[in-house]
Amino acid sequence: EQEGVSVPDNQCPLPCQCDEDGILLLVDCSELGLSTVPSNLSPLTSYLDLSMNNLTEIQPNAFHNLHFLGELRLSGNHLRHIPGAVFQDLYNLQVLMLQNNQLERLPSEDPWDLPNLLSLRLDANLISDVPERAFLGMRSLRHLWLDDNVLTDIPVAALNNLGSLQAMTLALNRITHIPDYAFRNLSNLVVLHLHNNLIRTLGQNCFEGLHSLETLELNYNDLQEFPVAIRMLAKLQELGFHNNNIKGIPERAFEGNPLLQTIHFYENPIQFVGRSAFQFLPKLHTLSLNGATEIRDFPDLTGTTSLEILSLTRAGLSGLPQNLCLQLPNLRVLELSHNLIKELPSFRHCSSLQEIGLQHNLIRQIERNTFQQLTSLRSLDLSWNRIELIHPDAFSSLQSLVKLDLTDNWLSQLPLAGLNSLTHLKLKGNMDLSSSFREEDFPSIRVIEMPYAYQCCVYGACNSYKSASQWEMEHLTDEEEDLQKRALALFPIHADNNYDTDLEEFQLEIEESKLQTSIQCSPVPGPFKPCDSLFD
Amino acid sequence: QHKQNVGVSTGCQSGCQTCSVYNGCLTCKPKLFIHLERDGMRQIGVCLASCPNGFYGMRSPDRNDCIKCGSECDTCFNKNFCLRCRAGSYLHKGKCQESCPEGLVPSDTKRECVP
Repeated sequence: EQEGVSVPDNQCPLPCQCDEDGILLLVDCSELGLSTVPSNLSPLTSYLDLSMNNLTEIQPNAFHNLHFLGELRLSGNHLRHIPGAVFQDLYNLQVLMLQNNQLERLPSEDPWDLPNLLSLRLDANLISDVPERAFLGMRSLRHLWLDDNVLTDIPVAALNNLGSLQAMTLALNRITHIPDYAFRNLSNLVVLHLHNNLIRTLGQNCFEGLHSLETLELNYNDLQEFPVAIRMLAKLQELGFHNNNIKGIPERAFEGNPLLQTIHFYENPIQFVGRSAFQFLPKLHTLSLNGATEIRDFPDLTGTTSLEILSLTRAGLSGLPQNLCLQLPNLRVLELSHNLIKELPSFRHCSSLQEIGLQHNLIRQIERNTFQQLTSLRSLDLSWNRIELIHPDAFSSLQSLVKLDLTDNWLSQLPLAGLNSLTHLKLKGNMDLSSSFREEDFPSIRVIEMPYAYQCCVYGACNSYKSASQWEMEHLTDEEEDLQKRALALFPIHADNNYDTDLEEFQLEIEESKLQTSIQCSPVPGPFKPCDSLFD
Repeated sequence: QHKQNVGVSTGCQSGCQTCSVYNGCLTCKPKLFIHLERDGMRQIGVCLASCPNGFYGMRSPDRNDCIKCGSECDTCFNKNFCLRCRAGSYLHKGKCQESCPEGLVPSDTKRECVP
């Protein structure tokens, strides 16, 4: 912990800042433009931060009397080489940060002797090789960062000495192949990141020995084949191999990984998927298979009962199994757009379903029991199908439905039972749907797209023919304009990257408050789209 | 805590590649992590060699971000692997737990399950 009172000047080397932690000293010399390590460091120093200075080398005895040193930060300097002697007698050192330097090699003849080191950061250096003896003196090491270097091979021999290792990243290097038994002694490794390398091939037994591995990241590589070597990772929970060049997922692909919870493999040219590939994964909660055009039949998901999100788009599915919901009772999101589905089973037993995406299929009609009892369903997208008939009671039990998209179907009438909580309704493109609706048909509506302009008149869209943009500007009250200006001033720049979710909610509130005051109905009437129906 | 480096001619703080008066650092010099600090309603970008407590560094070819650790965690390797737990929970193989597996006992000083 970094609390404590300020320290008498004679113990704190200038121009550093120091705090006391009991009898020990926390010394912060970061960002001071230092080119050498201060010489008068107190032996009671337990934390020393020398990061972001101009150190190019470290004198051999710079830390020789710091027996209480627990954490040493040397990141963000210009260090090329650190001989073993520099870290001599640092028995209590647990955290060593050397990231963002220019280290090219680790010492081999005189390896660093740090028997209690737990975390070693070597990321963002220029390390091209790790000698076999490099880690001999770090038997307790648990966390190792070697990402963002220029390694071309897995440092197998050096890693063999790290039996206590639990987390390691070798990401952002130039590794092309993982040989058999590369991680033979790493039986305690839980996390292994290998993303952003050039890995093209894996030895069939390359992951042998990783008995504790839970997270394996192989994203952004050049894998040509499905990594069958994962079969020996019995504890695997999270697997990523998205952005590779894998063309198929074989039958029983994950039979050796019953604990898998997430598998990310998008951005692969996957054409073939074995029907049994995703069987018996009782912990899997998300499965997204997009663009696998050779998939003709719905995968057999026996034993994969916890699935909550299933996305299987842009394939060649022509139908769905009748027992789909018995296999997947916990489904929350079902995304099946861009297939060739003609008929739908009953989704009755998928009682947790909240979102269904069936757009761009060949569906012709909706039966009475298709969506019965889906009381949690909030969004239903049936756009771009051939739906002519919808049973009058098809939506009757959908009490939570707020978004319904029926754009571009062949409807001549719309059953209203069950649609009173809709806030978004899209009917554009149903050219035979010419009847007008009443305001009370959709009491909560806020955004509605109709086939014809006159159908918007019921929402007061016909009082004056203002152009849409003019409509928008005048509609903002002063208070809304001020709100909008303050919001835009805050987040114009960081909008695209990682920011707190409550900021997102703040933006949504603005949108919500703006919408409360008006129903947006389109097409907006105009000189050539009169309010009076031409059919009367 | 972050130091203002008055030496930078463009007024950017140290480590910044580009910055703006209102939002601080927008992009960082190579290999540094951008971290978004809260300043009231504003977000200020700062560039760091290591992310502050409660965040971990995620490197990728075109940018390096500081990302929040899991809720129970003070410092972490990634979202699912903790290095040091918050007070009241104990670390075992990257997970923060309220009690320890058989054969191990909770250590309050280390916040870990120990033999």
